[in-house]
Amino acid sequence: MSRKTDIVVIGGGVIGASITYYLSKRGKKVILVEKKDFAFGSSGACDQMIFLQTKNPGIHLELAIESKKMYKNLEKELNHPIEFQTIGGMVLIETEDQMRVMKEFVKRQKETGLNVEILDIKDGTKIQEGLSPDLVGTTYSPDDAHVNSLELIKGYIKKAVTFGAEVLVNTEVIGIRTKNGKVKGVETTKGTIGCEVLVNAAGSWAPVIGEMIGLDLPIRPRRGQIILTEEVPPYIKHDIISANYITAKYSLDRSFDNDVLGKLGVGLAISQNHRGNIFIGATREFAGYNTETTREGIRRILKHAGKLIPGIVNFNIIRTFAGLRPYTPDGLPIIGYVDEVEGFFIAAGHEGDGICLSPVTGKIVSELIIDGKTFIDAKLLNLNRFRHLT
Amino acid sequence: MSHEKNVCICRCEEVTEGEILRAIEEGARTVKGIKIRTQATMGLCQGRTCRRLIVNILSKHVDINDISKLEIGIRVPVRTIKIKNFIYDEGKGYE
Ligand SMILES: Cc1cc2nc3c(=O)[nH]c(=O)nc-3n(C[C@H](O)[C@H](O)[C@H](O)COP(=O)(O)OP(=O)(O)OC[C@H]3O[C@@H](n4cnc5c(N)ncnc54)[C@H](O)[C@@H]3O)c2cc1C
Ligand code: FES
Repeated sequence: MSRKTDIVVIGGGVIGASITYYLSKRGKKVILVEKKDFAFGSSGACDQMIFLQTKNPGIHLELAIESKKMYKNLEKELNHPIEFQTIGGMVLIETEDQMRVMKEFVKRQKETGLNVEILDIKDGTKIQEGLSPDLVGTTYSPDDAHVNSLELIKGYIKKAVTFGAEVLVNTEVIGIRTKNGKVKGVETTKGTIGCEVLVNAAGSWAPVIGEMIGLDLPIRPRRGQIILTEEVPPYIKHDIISANYITAKYSLDRSFDNDVLGKLGVGLAISQNHRGNIFIGATREFAGYNTETTREGIRRILKHAGKLIPGIVNFNIIRTFAGLRPYTPDGLPIIGYVDEVEGFFIAAGHEGDGICLSPVTGKIVSELIIDGKTFIDAKLLNLNRFRHLT
Repeated sequence: MSHEKNVCICRCEEVTEGEILRAIEEGARTVKGIKIRTQATMGLCQGRTCRRLIVNILSKHVDINDISKLEIGIRVPVRTIKIKNFIYDEGKGYE
């Protein structure tokens, strides 16, 4: 097999699928190449949240707010039931120390334009029954949302195919062809595909693709273990996160939470899907490319969940699984062309936000490739930001 | 659609053999690939009833060397378990 296209997208996760959709919508000929099958990476082993409140105020939160705006129209645009719902979200606060940090975090989020407030536990319990009376308080934002990530990927791909995109599953990229410092094609286990632009959207595996042109990408797999309960009647009325999710994610204030210091950071996240299953997650650990779940990790998450929402321990768990978040040192994705080889574009490193940020990533990538500019300062997301450090 | 293709393979999610075959045509070569496309194995029994049947159908469509790579995907807990019982520690209670 030897063929040609405008752009090859590497990786059939939520990021590669979104990029394929937005590029082909703008008339580009795209071939998406996936080593295994759709959603076999992190995008098929994750929670469902579009949680604005967990984003660092500034560019990170701005990206999430733009993405959320795009989501509102997406179900109609894709003509596929992606189960998007603006359900509201709460960050549960367990100690006075956490309260202090959250007050500051919320203040800065408000300045970036997020609609969020802090409630005492009595008012919090009015909007979500079953919270532990030992909690100090909670934040609430009506703007947090969620979506079914599997259906989202299927929706992007189905629509992209109607615009002429081609999708190759069970096909692994094994090399990059270059000539005079320019991309000329992609070698796969099923033959070569000629192209002048490629998008490395291989998530936690993006460094493997980078290595093919001698590039050292600062992305590492950060494992998240997560639990699914049986289907139960509506119980979790808003998506819920513990304040130490935010500290585990950004290591904001290491002094007040031992979990963060330990190897096994747990930032609790609880949400209920359309079917009634409750997701309870997740750990944040560096364990290479291992996607096993551990008894210790699962118990740690469930114990914490039982402490914050005591009634939850009466449900049955039916499945545990783990995914590999593509971690970057500053928590922001890497999006943009690289300097070394012309035509080599990266869109990877979304850590725990890939589902949330998939529409805005597709938009930025398609605009940078087709128009050469986008609505935000693209330098902030370019790989070069890490090089200035050294 | 022929008679056999209407046979229900996954009872919990009401997925027929025809739908499984269509998923294979679309490129699914693993149990997880079938699951993503059809929701088979995602029901309350978590595939305890249908997984064996799906592996059977898949095995006719993959190379014999790839049978071990079907990603059959059984995960802890093998049976459903109440959270309370999973996190209880002898002597220490739930803490
Ligand atoms: C427990 C957990 C909970 C999460 N919860 C949320 C949440 O609530 N909200 C949210 O927004 N995000 C969440 N995330 C994060 C989210 O899952 C990721 O950010 C997102 O899925 C990353 O998508 P991706 O497409 O970049 O990577 P992936 O989905 O990992 O896709 C990469 C793909 O590239 C393929 N690939 C690799 N190498 C090659 C090759 N050589 N050739 C071809 N293909 C290749 C892989 O097979 C894979 O399918 C969570 C993650 C975890 C683990
Ligand atoms: S029969 Fe398929 S999940 Fe129960």
